[in-house]
Parts: sequence; structure tokens; C-alpha cells
Amino acid sequence: MRLPKFDYRRPERIQEACAILLDQPCAKLMAGGTDLLVNMKHRAETPSTIVSLKALPDLDFVQKTNSALRIGALTPLKKVYNDPFVAAKLPALAIAASSVGSYHHQTMGTIGGNLCQQTRCKYFNQSKWWRSSRPLCFKAGGELCHVAKREGVCYSTYCGDVAPALLAFGAEVILTGAHGLRQVPLEEIFSGDGKTPLKIGRGEILTEIVIPNQAADGFSTYGKSANRGSIDFPIVGAAVWRSSSTGESRIALTAVDRKPVRARRLEDFLEGKQLNEETFQAVDGLVAKESRLMPSSIDSLSYKRKLMGLLVQSALSEARGGE
Amino acid sequence: MKQAIALEVNGDTYEVLVSPNQTLLEVLREKLGLTGTKKGCDLGACGACTVLLDGAAYLSCLMLAVDAVGKKIVTIEGLSQGGELHPLQKSFVELGGLQCGFCTPGIIMTAKAVLDEEPQPTEESLKKKMAGNLCRCTGYKKVLDSIMGATARMGGER
Ligand SMILES: Cc1cc2nc3c(=O)[nH]c(=O)nc-3n(C[C@H](O)[C@H](O)[C@H](O)COP(=O)(O)OP(=O)(O)OC[C@H]3O[C@@H](n4cnc5c(N)ncnc54)[C@H](O)[C@@H]3O)c2cc1C
Ligand code: SF4
Repeated sequence: MRLPKFDYRRPERIQEACAILLDQPCAKLMAGGTDLLVNMKHRAETPSTIVSLKALPDLDFVQKTNSALRIGALTPLKKVYNDPFVAAKLPALAIAASSVGSYHHQTMGTIGGNLCQQTRCKYFNQSKWWRSSRPLCFKAGGELCHVAKREGVCYSTYCGDVAPALLAFGAEVILTGAHGLRQVPLEEIFSGDGKTPLKIGRGEILTEIVIPNQAADGFSTYGKSANRGSIDFPIVGAAVWRSSSTGESRIALTAVDRKPVRARRLEDFLEGKQLNEETFQAVDGLVAKESRLMPSSIDSLSYKRKLMGLLVQSALSEARGGE
Repeated sequence: MKQAIALEVNGDTYEVLVSPNQTLLEVLREKLGLTGTKKGCDLGACGACTVLLDGAAYLSCLMLAVDAVGKKIVTIEGLSQGGELHPLQKSFVELGGLQCGFCTPGIIMTAKAVLDEEPQPTEESLKKKMAGNLCRCTGYKKVLDSIMGATARMGGER
């Protein structure tokens, strides 16, 4: 499948990359390309210009500082989960990164590209030929959403594996633009809108992930259910973090909404409570309330709902084992 | 617009005229005639197009040729040395690790990257790392046996 034509830029400085993005509204960033190029082959995305981040220096690192673990946006997933600190102290991140696609995607794909990946839908992630049997959907440039059967909305689902682990850690990200940088909670870069899932300013690039030290002081895990365990996106994925000093819990899910979601109602419910069969009974109901499931994948909503409860419960019982 | 680039493939340098939208897979097969690297799904989901880039396993169908400039590319054609098959190739022949053979170049290139970073993998680790290379004939048992057989042969050598 040939790629559509595009102009190709390969800036060597971040400011230059930001300037191209500002100058060319239809340009797209490319890190590892394992998400973007597939969509382009399908003509689901057709940017006029690709701004490759591959020549930018100094964004491929995992670095421990006094207050945080800092990860450069261009760090390949494999390097993230092979990092000794991540493997020993941040297991949810190690498990999530090593569950992305196959070994090849983990070698080529970056952590920044994973967080910023496109949302997915059974009507969008298809070849142009497949999609030609229906009018273009809203996300692909048309009017109608085939999932919601309404115009002007998009319920495509965020399916990234790494975001829930980082949300559970309370991670922040650094966004670099032409006029400097800002650090925001990871949660804030997701718009919750399927058509434009990222809330990153025009001309901004995600350059770094900052995981506070607190994250390493506690239990964490990530669980994922996929059609083929070997290479598939999650049907549902769930990360749980539980502090060993305060007993605070943070729970986040992927593939259940247009953005990765924190299960705040469940977190509040678990506050100060022991993890036991009684508390587990509330999990299903509370988790289900956090998501906005829509039939944008081939899996039924009731199946997804069941998986959400099961994955969170299983992670919590693992946490209980450690307490 | 087409541009002239130099690619280092299997130790030789090739000057080719490419457009930015050409993948490394297309250039290897169509411009350099290195058809050992296979085009399977062409969407990054089957592993048939795997080549080594600076020793790591890359899907050449999801890699722009222009991004491969300055990297050492190795394809299945580059594995044998002086007419001698690589130990991995020998092991696949002797232990029957292939049937139709279409997925084999990708499998062997992934296996090479895996064994270079982990010369004596556990079965579990090998299975996980090889899971992105699909094979519709063998049922994988003999593929894994062949790779394990090669670890003994190679004795940590590359
Ligand atoms: C067969 C297959 C299976 C896969 N399975 C999974 C899976 O199980 N789980 C999963 O999570 N993913 C999966 N993926 C998707 C993809 O491989 C990974 O998400 C990967 O981590 C993406 O990283 P990348 O660097 O290749 O992203 P790219 O393709 O380069 O970029 C992805 C998107 O993010 C944007 N972007 C990239 N970097 C930045 C940045 N620094 N700042 C702002 N925007 C940026 C790009 O513009 C693009 O829109 C799969 C892909 C394939 C082909
Ligand atoms: S949810 Fe609707 S608009 Fe969005 S990708 Fe699917 S069909 Fe298109």
C-alpha cells in the first residue's frame, strides 16, 4: 500500500519543528511512525507535511532526578521497560510499555507517540476501499458519525496502553512550543473529543514525561485484555496504583472512552478502606460510571463493561496480596 | 520531490533516488532488487518485512526510506558470509522451521535481533519477542525449535 504524497521535513531543533507546525496547519508530527503511517496508508489521515522528530537531539532518555523520573518523548518503549528503575519501581509502566503491539512496535514506537496516538474506530481504521462503501465519517472529513448515527460528533476510542499507567502515577508532561514550555498534568492533554483527541496547542510538541517520586512508593500494575495477546490493541486496559504510605489509590482505564479515564469515584470510595471482598463488590458499578462506552469497536459494550470490572478487581486483589 | 540518498545495505552503499513517501520496504524490493524482504500485510502487523537497522528489528513497511539514511541496514540477503549460511538459517533448514517460506526472512531477522540482545533467551521471552511475526503454516513449534537450536550453535556468537 503506497503512502500518499507529502512534504517531508526533518528539523534538527525543537524550535524549528514548532515553527513548521505553526506555519503549516495541515502538518503532522511523526516520531516512530508506527501509528501515523498505518493511518496514512489507509488515507484516514493525509497530512500535507510530515515533520519527523527523528533528528531532534536529547529527547531519548530515562533519567532519575531527586524529585522525579523524567522520560524523553522520543524514548522507544523498549528502552522504557528495560530501564532498571522502571522495571523495579514502576511495574505498571513496564508492563504497559511491554504490552504495546509486538517487539517491533516496542523497538520503533516512542512513548510520546504512544500517548499522542490517534483514537480508534471500526469505521476509521480501515482501508480507503473498505470505507468507500459508506459516506466519509465525521472524523475522516465527512459529516455523519456511523457509530452515533448523528452528524458532527465522533466517538472513536482512545486505546493507548501507556496512558493509564502514567495517569495512575500522577504523571505530568512537558509541552514545548515556539515561546517556551509548560508542564501540565498528563490528563489535561486529552480533549475527550474523538475528532481531535489531543488538547495540545498549535505548534506544541510533547517533549518530556515527568513521573513524581511518590509513584515509586507503592504498588502498581497494568492489566490488558486483547483479542490476540501477542500484538493487539487493548479491548480494555486498566492500571492501578496504591500508595504504601497513605493507602491512597489511583485507577485509570483505556479503550473505554474517547480519552483515557481516571476512575475517581472508585478511588474516593476506596479511600481509607481495606481491600477485601466487600470493597471489591462495589468495583463493577463504580468503574462503569467513569466511562462513556460506545460501539466503536467490534466488541460488545456489555463485554467491555465486564472486562473493566474484572481487570480492576484483579489488579486490586494483586495490590491486596502485597499489603 | 525526489531526492538522492545513500543507503548502507548489507555492507554496500547504494545511491538511490526516492520520494519521501517511499517506504524502506519498497526501496529495498523495487529499487535495489533485494526481494528477500517480504511485503506481507504492509501495515505493520505481520512482521514479514522485518530488517535490521543498526542491529534492531524494524518493520520496513512502516519506515520511510529517507529515515534509514546513516543506519546500517541488514536484510536476509546479508546474513550468509562467504557462501556459508548463518547459524540461524542452517538451524531452520535442518530442523524444518519453514514450510512455504514467505514469513521466514522476517522471522529470521527478528530472531537475529533477539539473540543478539539476549543470546540464551528463555522460551517465554523468545515467544513474547517473536509474537509479532505471523506464520500461517508451521504452527510456530518448529520455528521456536529452530531458533533455540541456533542458540546452541551460535554459542553467544553473532
Ligand atoms: C499492528 C499494530 C499493533 C499495535 N498495537 C498497539 C497496542 O497494543 N497498544 C498501543 O498503545 N499501541 C499499539 N499500536 C500503535 C503504535 O505502534 C504505538 O502506539 C506506538 O507507541 C506509537 O508510537 P510512535 O512513536 O510510532 O508514534 P507515531 O506514529 O510517530 O505518532 C503517533 C501520533 O502521535 C503524534 N505524536 C508523536 N510524537 C509526538 C510528540 N512528541 N508530541 C506530539 N504529538 C506526537 C503524531 O503526530 C501521531 O499523530 C500498534 C500499531 C500497530 C501497527
Ligand atoms: S466514531 Fe463516528 S466519526 Fe468517529 S471515527 Fe467512528 S464513525 Fe467516524
